[in-house]
Amino acid sequence: MRFWRYAGRRLAFLPVQLVIVSVIVFFLVRLLPGDPSYLLAGPFATVERVDEVRRRLGLDQPIYVQYVSYLRSVMRGEFGTSWITSQPVLQDIGQRLPATMELILAAMLLSVLVGIPLGVWTAVRKTGVADRAVLAYGMLAGALPDFWFALIMIFLFFFQLGWAPGPIGQLDLTVSIPPRVTGMYAVDALLAGDWEAFRSALAHLVLPVTTLTAIYMPLVMKNTRSTMEEMLGSEFVTYARAAGLPRAVQLRYALRNSMPSVVTIIGILFWFLLGGAVLVETVFAWGGLGQYAVQSVVNSDYAPLQAFVLVTAVFTSIVFLLVDLGYFLLDPRIKP
Amino acid sequence: MTVRALHAAAAEARNLVRFSRGRPGFLFGLGVVALTIFLAILGPRLAPYGPEEALPGVANLPPNHEHWMGTDISGMDVFSRVIAAPRIDLTIALVSTAAAFAGGVVLGVISGFFAGGHGIWGRLSSTIVRGADIFQAFPVFIFALALVGFRGPSIQNVIVALAFLNIPFFLRLTRGAVLHMRERPFVEAARCMGGSGLRIAFVHVMPNALTPALANLSPTIGFSILLASALSFVGAGVPIPTPEWGSMIAIGAPNMMTGQWWTALFPGLALGLTILGYALVGDGFRYYLDPVNRR
Repeated sequence: MRFWRYAGRRLAFLPVQLVIVSVIVFFLVRLLPGDPSYLLAGPFATVERVDEVRRRLGLDQPIYVQYVSYLRSVMRGEFGTSWITSQPVLQDIGQRLPATMELILAAMLLSVLVGIPLGVWTAVRKTGVADRAVLAYGMLAGALPDFWFALIMIFLFFFQLGWAPGPIGQLDLTVSIPPRVTGMYAVDALLAGDWEAFRSALAHLVLPVTTLTAIYMPLVMKNTRSTMEEMLGSEFVTYARAAGLPRAVQLRYALRNSMPSVVTIIGILFWFLLGGAVLVETVFAWGGLGQYAVQSVVNSDYAPLQAFVLVTAVFTSIVFLLVDLGYFLLDPRIKP
Repeated sequence: MTVRALHAAAAEARNLVRFSRGRPGFLFGLGVVALTIFLAILGPRLAPYGPEEALPGVANLPPNHEHWMGTDISGMDVFSRVIAAPRIDLTIALVSTAAAFAGGVVLGVISGFFAGGHGIWGRLSSTIVRGADIFQAFPVFIFALALVGFRGPSIQNVIVALAFLNIPFFLRLTRGAVLHMRERPFVEAARCMGGSGLRIAFVHVMPNALTPALANLSPTIGFSILLASALSFVGAGVPIPTPEWGSMIAIGAPNMMTGQWWTALFPGLALGLTILGYALVGDGFRYYLDPVNRR
């Protein structure tokens, strides 16, 4: 009951948050110095042509009129047309979003499955070469450029060893795309029972997901480690030890009480992966949302860029909301 | 007065030397920082070949005794470009971090000192924090990409975007320290002497609340170098052929699929070692600036 009231309150605040974000995105484009009409009209445009572009974009209207018409079109789900793909932006995004989600979800899953046990293990065993090696790697991973690491992986596992497919997207060129259900090729292929496509989709996922996991997993590991250390040194674990409970039970107590903080870091991991995916997608020609965003930036394609930023904000808001709700469920001390 | 200041500086330097002994990570970091500054000043002159010069007939040569790191697809000497790059990378990072530091500290002092207060300053304080919250909802790289995208790719716009991006970070650090400091008796003393709110905030509290922001200057510079090179890598930053690590990796990217590893490997190593070095210096200083760890 308490939970639902809290969830309801937070959900009610979500639209407010999104309106604020839409205002920011809007003013980012309009108020930063530099006039997009010049960019859009091209370097050889006449003054009349620039004026025409400005009128077409509605940039000659007062700023509040522009905002209202922008908000109205966003409410209708119209984000304009990309002049690179000449398709409605919403359609472009719908096509590309699942590919990005597939990448991020796979990397998240792997990071959690590897990072939490590693963090617990290094918190429990604080001596030894392996522990120090893991910590040194954690320090190093923060300094590695993910896009460069991706290229090294391609060189090693595609060019040298030939174990992984090349960076040409989500499927081999000879494999046909499975019928669309979720838009994530690996899932769709599995649902359709198309083993060839499934194998190909998985093979193409390996390198980008490994890259993302290698760079961002230490975040989960370091956080789990420090929280576990704190919990293992706390009074309730000391009491459990004094009471003669077995080590496994002590660890379970500590782990249970570390969970709220771990859930928070998973939300932050998503936030990091969303940014990292943009670069990794570019390297692997993944064809997802991140690559779309890069394309629009390089070509000064405003409509998709604006929509992309808005979509990202919606996703982070939802994920942070889920994290807060999870925290609430896991930590009974939180008062709504 | 000057003599005393000199003595104090010398004592501080001696402390720092004593502190860095037996800390290989910190020393390595200091070495990296010194090297990048040295190369930023002299790198383009020390380069054996012109960093933007496409040498005829030597495209894609593997490392050899004439071209220590090989040549890239258009015959530019990779070593020359790697040591010329800190000039642009470090300039972007230093200018943007300095701007973010200044902006973040001022906003942090205002928002921390007047937190919970009434009237216009109190309201300003909560507006600042809320604004930082919303800006930080965007993943860092996407925010940088969007800022540069809306303004058009150029070096100035990369600097502006990175400066903007790092403001909330310094803001939070300073705000936290100010919240702590404003409860101290010396603030009350200043108030009793009739100082105005703004004067107390900036003359008395700010100098005592700079430590966290200062300790994070170095890692932020490293992080800014990473972001700037990532932007250049996707083509939204420093244009080719200006020597810059990220754009060099972009030039080398297609070569990695065909086995010419040297064009992307070396700029990436330089980038990674630089970021690591600045992070280690930051860790060291954070430890050093905490009086508990001094001796």
